[in-house]
Amino acid sequence: MSADDRAPGGAAGWLRGWRPAVSMASRNLRRNRVRTVLAVLGVCIGVLAVAALGIFGNVLALGADDAIGDIGTQVVVSPNTDAGVESLSDADIASIRRAVGEPAVIPLYSDSATVARQGDQTFATVYGVEEPALAYEAAEGRLPERHRQGAILGAGIAEDLGAGAGDTVEIAGSQVRVIAVLVESQTFSPVAPDDAVYLPESAFSADGYAQALVVSDTGAEARAAADAIREAVNAREDRVELFELAALVDEINEFFGLLSTFLLGLGAISLVVAGVSILNVMLMSTVERRQEIGVMRAVGVARRDVLRVLLAEAGLIGAAGAAAGTLLTVLLVAGLVLATPAVDTALVLDRTNAYYLLLALGFGVGVGLVSGAYPAWKAANERPVEALRS
Amino acid sequence: MSRNRTTDEAEDLAAGRATNGAAADWETSGDSNLADDDYAVALRGVVKRYPSGGGEPVVALDDVDFAARPGEFVAVVGPSGSGKSTLLNVLGLLDDPTSGRRLLGDTDVTSLSVAERTRARKESIGFVFQDFHLLPTLTAVENVAMPTAFDPGDASDRAANLLARFGLGDRLDHEPNELSGGQKQRVAIARSLINEPAVLLADEPTGNLDTDTGEAILAEFERVKAEGVAVIAVTHDPLVEEYADRVVDLTDGVLTGGLPGESDPHADADRRGGRDAGRTAPGPQVGGDRG
Repeated sequence: MSADDRAPGGAAGWLRGWRPAVSMASRNLRRNRVRTVLAVLGVCIGVLAVAALGIFGNVLALGADDAIGDIGTQVVVSPNTDAGVESLSDADIASIRRAVGEPAVIPLYSDSATVARQGDQTFATVYGVEEPALAYEAAEGRLPERHRQGAILGAGIAEDLGAGAGDTVEIAGSQVRVIAVLVESQTFSPVAPDDAVYLPESAFSADGYAQALVVSDTGAEARAAADAIREAVNAREDRVELFELAALVDEINEFFGLLSTFLLGLGAISLVVAGVSILNVMLMSTVERRQEIGVMRAVGVARRDVLRVLLAEAGLIGAAGAAAGTLLTVLLVAGLVLATPAVDTALVLDRTNAYYLLLALGFGVGVGLVSGAYPAWKAANERPVEALRS
Repeated sequence: MSRNRTTDEAEDLAAGRATNGAAADWETSGDSNLADDDYAVALRGVVKRYPSGGGEPVVALDDVDFAARPGEFVAVVGPSGSGKSTLLNVLGLLDDPTSGRRLLGDTDVTSLSVAERTRARKESIGFVFQDFHLLPTLTAVENVAMPTAFDPGDASDRAANLLARFGLGDRLDHEPNELSGGQKQRVAIARSLINEPAVLLADEPTGNLDTDTGEAILAEFERVKAEGVAVIAVTHDPLVEEYADRVVDLTDGVLTGGLPGESDPHADADRRGGRDAGRTAPGPQVGGDRG
């Protein structure tokens, strides 16, 4: 009765014990198919709820992040007119560049002008920018590395005027060729590009910049940049005002995180219900099979092995339900994407959604094992003499 | 009537198989130098009490001395509720005695841990039940191999051989519900023998079988005991008594003729006389000839 005898081959021996257990368990489950199927269905629905709600929450959060992401990554630096600073000088821009380091700093001249084409006319903000490619993307035409000539139109203005790349528009009385039209802005930005026209810096005769855009990759970087500017440029006097939404974005993200957790919690409740149904099924099943289990114990099957068989049953219910639930979730989400054009497919295919699928799958199996543990333990520990008496 | 015949037979057989000397040893010598290893299984001074709802505990076994030799077929008879099942459970390591000693071969197995008992059952004891108790989801051969299902190695061949020996070679892959009662009981006997036990315990083995089938099963027991297995059957069936080498009587927890060569009708009377005293005060030894 040495320990060696009991655990021959360590892990291999441990695994070997599970093979007959799983085989017996699957046969036991087939005995009462309806009950097994109902228990599996319970887990399936629980897993579906967790996975689907988790993914919905995640897609919402991703979508929101996508929409507000740009404001979170942009810092707009303006002269502090209260302190008598009317514009940003080259020195200001230089010190901003030094302060922020990595992120691109795009100084902007700003004015407003009437923009017209073939009788249509509109009033627009005109920005002077040297390196538009750092902050914007072109939907039509190409953004030059150095903006020397021609106009770049925001998506809104281009639509209003019916102008595309290659057309000519009249800006403040002069004819300017359109070299590019910007991608429609998905975001709310303090420098609204949709209704703006971008001209080369040479078109402006102002002696200072009206604003500077600091474009970062992440919200955290933007926040760091804003802090650095405050420290460096505003060290002695408040020369500039900063407009940054990174903090707001954080709060929004936090909200969506909370929403995701809430949705997951809702799903988890159904998984708990599924767990209770497994508990019920396993308890009923072990009570019904009390004598059988007693016989197994009487003829020398160890408690551990009885436990294995029963845990395998609960685990199989959990695994089958989890697998079905996961599959169903994939189908449901796919169906939803097909039926709802508003949902961005890229968001649904985001890798983080797989994490929710795996989470739900794991939870399903886990719920099976946890709910099966008590009935299994109870049955395995019943004295065979009691079990046989009934 | 048949009882007497069987008892005589039993004595003859016992005398023929083991030497009279061995039997006398147990009878005459003190506890210390008993040749315990002559017995496949033995109980010495075993008492089993169950707590009963508030009142005095129920005495299911009252100072029971019992032993069976390898290759001996012992039938335990007695009225319902006399403690026969308790005796079988104690012998089968399913239940522990309240006091007294229990020996399996020459090993004291009075108090073992749960795991040790399970292991001892698997290695040394076979069970045959009235209701066969086959697992309905397993085939005949799997049922026979079931006690070893979680052990290394595959016992299927051994199980198939056993079934073939019991005439079920063509029923290996049948599930219990495809087998007759007699076939089920043969599968159960095969299962009890899968680990080559020293003792086979049978609880009403013919209880659910018609006479012919019962007789056939008893014939199987004869073959089992011929292989040196001690067969102990609790029964109400006179047929079993006919096949037994020795019939012991258990009435109200008092066992008569528990030891080989001890079945003396007069001793029966003595023991029964002493029983009542034993019940009211469970302490006193009933088999007064040995302390």
